[in-house]
Amino acid sequence: MSTDTNKKAFSRRKFLQRGAIVLGGSVVASYLGCSPMRRFTAQKAENMDLPASISSFQPDFWFEVLADNTILLKSPKIEMGQGIWTGFAMLAAEELEVPIEQIKVEHASTSSGLIDNINTGGSTSTASLYEPIREVAATMREMLKVAASKQWGVAIGTIKAENGVLSSGNKKITYAEIASSTKEWDIPKTPALKPKSAFKYVGKSVKRIDLKPKVMGTAKYTMDSELPDMLYAVLLQSPYIDGTIKTIDTSEAAKSSGVIKIIHEGELVAVVAKTFYAADSAVKKINVSWNTPNKTQQADLIKLVTVGNGKEVNVQKEGKARSIIEDNQAEVFKQEYRTPMATHAQMEVNAAIAHVEADKATIIVGTQGPSQVRDMVAKALKLKKDNIDVHTPLVGGGFGRKATKGNFVEAALISKAVGKPVKLFNSRQQEFQNGVYRPNTHHVLQAKIDKNGQIEAITHDQATPDMILKTLLNGNDIVLKLLGSDFISAGHGASIMYNVPNKATSVWNTDVPVPISIWRAVGMFPNTFAIESFINELAKKVGKDPITFRTDMLHDKEDKIAQRSKKVLETLAEKSAWKNQKTESVGRGIAIANDRKTIAAAAIEIEILEDKIKVKKVTHVMDVGQSINPEGIKQQVESAIMMGISAALHEELTVKDGQIEQGFFSQYPLAMLTDVPEIQVFILEGDDIPYGVGEPPLSPIAPAIAGAILDLTGKALRSLPLRLS
Amino acid sequence: MKIDFKINGKPTSIDVDPNMPLLWVVRDELKLTATKFGCGQAMCGACTLHVDGEALRSCSIPAEFVAGKEITTLEGLSKSKETTDGDLQLHPIQQAWMEEQVPQCGYCQSGFMMAAAKLIKDNPNPSDDDIKNGITNICRCGTHPRIIKAIKRAAELQNQKP
Ligand code: FES
Ligand code: FES
Repeated sequence: MSTDTNKKAFSRRKFLQRGAIVLGGSVVASYLGCSPMRRFTAQKAENMDLPASISSFQPDFWFEVLADNTILLKSPKIEMGQGIWTGFAMLAAEELEVPIEQIKVEHASTSSGLIDNINTGGSTSTASLYEPIREVAATMREMLKVAASKQWGVAIGTIKAENGVLSSGNKKITYAEIASSTKEWDIPKTPALKPKSAFKYVGKSVKRIDLKPKVMGTAKYTMDSELPDMLYAVLLQSPYIDGTIKTIDTSEAAKSSGVIKIIHEGELVAVVAKTFYAADSAVKKINVSWNTPNKTQQADLIKLVTVGNGKEVNVQKEGKARSIIEDNQAEVFKQEYRTPMATHAQMEVNAAIAHVEADKATIIVGTQGPSQVRDMVAKALKLKKDNIDVHTPLVGGGFGRKATKGNFVEAALISKAVGKPVKLFNSRQQEFQNGVYRPNTHHVLQAKIDKNGQIEAITHDQATPDMILKTLLNGNDIVLKLLGSDFISAGHGASIMYNVPNKATSVWNTDVPVPISIWRAVGMFPNTFAIESFINELAKKVGKDPITFRTDMLHDKEDKIAQRSKKVLETLAEKSAWKNQKTESVGRGIAIANDRKTIAAAAIEIEILEDKIKVKKVTHVMDVGQSINPEGIKQQVESAIMMGISAALHEELTVKDGQIEQGFFSQYPLAMLTDVPEIQVFILEGDDIPYGVGEPPLSPIAPAIAGAILDLTGKALRSLPLRLS
Repeated sequence: MKIDFKINGKPTSIDVDPNMPLLWVVRDELKLTATKFGCGQAMCGACTLHVDGEALRSCSIPAEFVAGKEITTLEGLSKSKETTDGDLQLHPIQQAWMEEQVPQCGYCQSGFMMAAAKLIKDNPNPSDDDIKNGITNICRCGTHPRIIKAIKRAAELQNQKP
């Protein structure tokens, strides 16, 4: 085997942007694989339909052999429920030749040197680290072997790595033992990776590694964390968008029991007390009135977000779609669709613990972007980035919300003002009214059908505010420059995937006076609702079965996505018993989406009970490329089905007089246990590389439900949430 | 005000504002953090625990209400008796939650498990509808289908016990 001659121990700093291997307590090697930046750019060129928060470059992570022979993987990506830690552990175990139980995963913190520069999001975590983790793991295994071969004076080829133990003849040594008894390491070139046929874990179902703490109640979230001598703060915020303080009187609050300090610096108003209850009770005693410069009404938002308004960006143009549609207006079938604003409503509210000292700060925060948190806190405190230590415990749900502003900067400023560690978290009302929201969208679809009942030309115009440029945690300048404009996130999924000779898509970008951001499945969600609802209506119009209508348009043998999609639809037809006679009271609908090469489709059965839409059964088929943990994928699909039902039937956020109208769960119903349908999930592996699984299964749900209503009642419902009257 | 009660079997005495919600007594004073804050308005169930055998939303109960009562949180749901292999003897609900791999982000799960433990105690053979209508907690990760399966499995486990 060829090895690098460089044997000196590397300094930590040098490897901030790479994966690292820690043996015997110091960093001894770094991952220098193919430039992730290049890979990222290539991917961009190959597939213009990019996700919102790109996270496929600069994978930074850290492996460490601990004294008890377990291996610690410091994850650069945030576990917020998706199960990525389990996927990472599987990949590591695969090449390290240790049982998965021997791998521990925790979040990297800025003090351990390696955190991702990019938000966790866009369903890319596991896919983007599929190779790097295995490569670093394999390199580490080989380094251990080389060390053992030297120590024993045997040929490296005679050494076997198994269950965290190296052996040759009757000699045996654990990884931990060899790590602690070796001073100089040879760093081999990245060894060849195991072929798929030799996989022990990848592709087979494994139990989540974070199951036990979550079942026993010992899992620690930011909300559960504390620092010695910590105080509690509660923030006073205007319930109006852009609201500022007009008059304020804090004298009553100051007298409230347990209050330590009232902070009032410009628009930052907070009560600091010994307990949360004391701070919360005091903040309610502040007499405040607000300037309300923002007078936005719901009708204004609808008007602003309308096709024809704002800046038009062409995202797809094949053939002469625009002119065919224009020249044949009389024959053209045209429909409009709308999706509403929505909020993330993740169960753990935004929370942060900050301890600011003279020249440094510690921040504990549930975030999708620790690196960006560090930048923002450094800027607010005028401290050097390196002096801000950010720790991320488990995250109680994100869905995009924790990729944007939280309350960590406020927590830091408050801690600085009182000179002690401070815990700050949002009330549920603040989550609703001081958040960032999935924007409302508007879609116009037009199609001309030829005499054979096929689509000859189709156009899609989507109107949407931008979803990332304004509110996503900053620090992603490179990404933003690369992406240029946000039409990529908003327009994500706007293009027509079918093999139609003439097709054109435009995104109309507008600014709205409401803070907007990404929500699980980003652009795919509204776009799939509009396009797939339209396709269902077209199928009905030409009298074709909605599955056949689609498979007929997926005929291009050269188009890999089309071929995989066709297979997904055929599987869906079979598994959902689509051809079987259905009962009269049941409506059936389908939809499909290509979300960055993951193909997801659902067939849904509904009934109408007491004037309410009831989802009875969901059959879901998804081609994920290479699957890593099928059971984990299944969890994500079920999760997406429930969130899809929630968004399709219940969720709508509205604005009135410059204020978000919903402040409580009772005003913003979510899917509950009563919404659970019968669910069947099928996973296909149509490729050798893994694609994302967190968001893709979501977008077909709403249009499939709408399709089922169309089937049952003959009525097309074209805006979300779906309402019968 | 001094309040005496038992929590997870342990006699406890604390001195707090009698109106402080029980949730904060449990989490911040007693450092039992399995019980979660989700809304503070009795609307999500994340803070569910048992008081004298009733499943209650602790964010909306004043501390003084538990004087002289017995509280159980998720930390105290399983018997503390160690089995031979050194493992805690899991409550059927926790056992089933492991088997069905219910949690995703996990944040809502404590509340769901406490509500579910009460449900199978009162109704040893719950139907899907009993479960759907009996628990009105919120989970944003969409673990609902597995929660229903796990509760039915837990009921089975409970009924198998001697
Ligand atoms: S926190 Fe108590 S019900 Fe939501
Ligand atoms: S598991 Fe995340 S909210 Fe229920």
